[in-house]
Amino acid sequence: MKRALFLLAFAAFLVTSGAVDAASGLSIALVPDKSNPTAPEMGNWLKFNSIIKNTGDTPLAGLVVWISLVQVDSGHEQPVDLEDWSAHKALVIPNLNPGQAIGADWAMRLIQAGDYRVVLSATERHAATLYVSPFADFHVRRKPTVESGRILPVAVGMPLLLAGFAAWRMRRGR
Amino acid sequence: MLVQVDNLGLSIGKVPILKGVRLTMDKGEIYGLLGPNGAGKSTTLSVLTGLRRADSGTVRVLGLDPATQARELRRSIGVLAEDSGFYGWMSAAAYLRFMANLYGIEPSPETLAQQFALVGLEGAEGKAIANFSRGMKQRLGLARALLNDPQLLILDEPTNGLDPRGRRDIHDLLIRLSVEREVGILLCTHLLDDVDRLCTRVGIIGEGSTLIEGNIAELLGTRPGAGLYRLRLGRRIEGMVDSLPQGVKLLAQEGDWVHLYLPSSLISSEVWRTLLDAGWDIVEIHGESGGLEALYLELTEKEGVA
Amino acid sequence: MNPILLIARKESGEVLGSGRGLGWLTLLAAVLSVLSLLLVSDTELSLLDNAQVVYIVMGTITALGGLLAVVLGSDAWAGERERGSLIPLLLTPVEITDIVLGKMGAQGIAWGSAYLVALPYLWAVGSSGQNLAQAVLYLGLFGTPLVLGFGFYALGLSVRLGSVRAALLASLTTLLLAASPLLLGPSLRQSAVGKIFDAVNPFSAVLNTFDSVVVDSQPFTLQLGRLAVVVAWLVVAAWFGRASARSVKL
Repeated sequence: MKRALFLLAFAAFLVTSGAVDAASGLSIALVPDKSNPTAPEMGNWLKFNSIIKNTGDTPLAGLVVWISLVQVDSGHEQPVDLEDWSAHKALVIPNLNPGQAIGADWAMRLIQAGDYRVVLSATERHAATLYVSPFADFHVRRKPTVESGRILPVAVGMPLLLAGFAAWRMRRGR
Repeated sequence: MLVQVDNLGLSIGKVPILKGVRLTMDKGEIYGLLGPNGAGKSTTLSVLTGLRRADSGTVRVLGLDPATQARELRRSIGVLAEDSGFYGWMSAAAYLRFMANLYGIEPSPETLAQQFALVGLEGAEGKAIANFSRGMKQRLGLARALLNDPQLLILDEPTNGLDPRGRRDIHDLLIRLSVEREVGILLCTHLLDDVDRLCTRVGIIGEGSTLIEGNIAELLGTRPGAGLYRLRLGRRIEGMVDSLPQGVKLLAQEGDWVHLYLPSSLISSEVWRTLLDAGWDIVEIHGESGGLEALYLELTEKEGVA
Repeated sequence: MNPILLIARKESGEVLGSGRGLGWLTLLAAVLSVLSLLLVSDTELSLLDNAQVVYIVMGTITALGGLLAVVLGSDAWAGERERGSLIPLLLTPVEITDIVLGKMGAQGIAWGSAYLVALPYLWAVGSSGQNLAQAVLYLGLFGTPLVLGFGFYALGLSVRLGSVRAALLASLTTLLLAASPLLLGPSLRQSAVGKIFDAVNPFSAVLNTFDSVVVDSQPFTLQLGRLAVVVAWLVVAAWFGRASARSVKL
């Protein structure tokens, strides 16, 4: 009974904290910022808050934490190059002592429509393991970007207008 | 003196182009500048207008030094350069107005119309210059040269592209300008007929230097056959011989043509005036061999510049 | 009236009123039309793609403006001379430097016309994307000194070389050289030589600014260094044009 309750409490802790302990002492929490739009569309900014904590007994040195983005639309699954989505792609922590925690925000601009998954990964100089955060999934709504109804009249009309004006000037000159 | 040039020298790079050009003319005179191709006529004109600087010699035009006072000089001269171009897309009137504005003149439509009439381009004001014939462009160039009511006109081949009627019209215009407005006209041309008809003074350039320069009648008076002329008459008159001025001899008559001799002491234009007053119907006048053409050929052959 | 304004007005009339000038503007519109029509078929563009399209259109307008400027500049002096219309102009009581300044003024009118022709295209491709207002503003702010600089440079060459063909060849070569880093691609521009060239090349400065502002939404303060490069180019080119006029030998 006690064991079941302990397991239940531990599972609850895992679910509510959103943290996953990796093999040796680093936890990364990743949650969407409260100010994010509820139904984001192309062009919006999203922010993710993270807490990186040394949960082990030994200091961690040369810790690198980086953000990854994957598109998960069915049939279009692929990693996304964050070049134009985010200028903040990684964080380097020279030393993280046991029990020490560092918070970091990760902002990105939504460039393309689709379903996406973001995750933080971390590794340190002497570790043989990869630490990962929980996933944060989000959907980006499409926004129409090219109005063909506007391009056609301009593309056809402008040269005709200028050519017509030129012809009128030439005729007037005679 | 309107123009005074003495011992003008100019080199382009290391090549001497002008080696002692001299030229004097006064207001009201029409001066003919003759010479073979490449003799230095156009270069001389470019020095007079301030487009080039002389290396040596003295140059005064309207009392000004073209090298240092070009802007001031150009307000009082009009120039028609050989083969000068226009802006084909402009109408003739717009072009003249633009050029007048550069002189600080804002011509009224009436003034422009007068300019066009003066050069025989009535009705062509609104036409695009690109549609002008060569002769029309030449007339337009003359109109441009007259925009600022100049004291001195410098004309390089002004009758290029004109038919005989057009040439005669331009000649009449130039004579009127020199007589009525005392405009000095420096005429650079290879057409000896034009010089013969229009000019009182002439300068012949060869290989960059002046071979001869002075009053035509005086120059020709020193040459054999210098006073021989051939006239075509519209009608015979009675007592032609009696109406001849003293010294003038009637040498021959052939149909409508009469051959006269004029001594060098007489000025030909005054003789023609006298004959016209006596009722002679003179249609054409030609200088005979021994005239300007012979002088020109002899000088340019002698100097090996032909 | 001021002779500089008179000559600028006459030159502008030739650009806007003659077959040659209007032909160039029509050609500019045709090129932009082709570029724009290529986009009509693909409405599945990402926001980045749209920003890239606006950037490409801006770059095209700037390049065509530069081309127009070197063509007009190369013809401005030597072309008039070859057509025989320069001598009558020189024989008026107008200073040579005023003639050159008037022709420089006409360069501004030509670029202004090209800019106005380009605005409907920018609106058509960028109105539902990002940073359209910035695109219009920065095209004017950065494109103008770049294009005018090439115009003045070509005009100076036209005076010094005395031949339209020679001036056009030399100025086009310079324009292509300035545009060459863009053809090399980003990796080659990361070398030491590439970085130095990028830093002093006004063409690179303008295009990098367009990229930074329209695609990356960077603020104006971060573009000041590049603006300085472009303005310096304009100043040097204008000085070259004017100094060439003063040294003219007929």
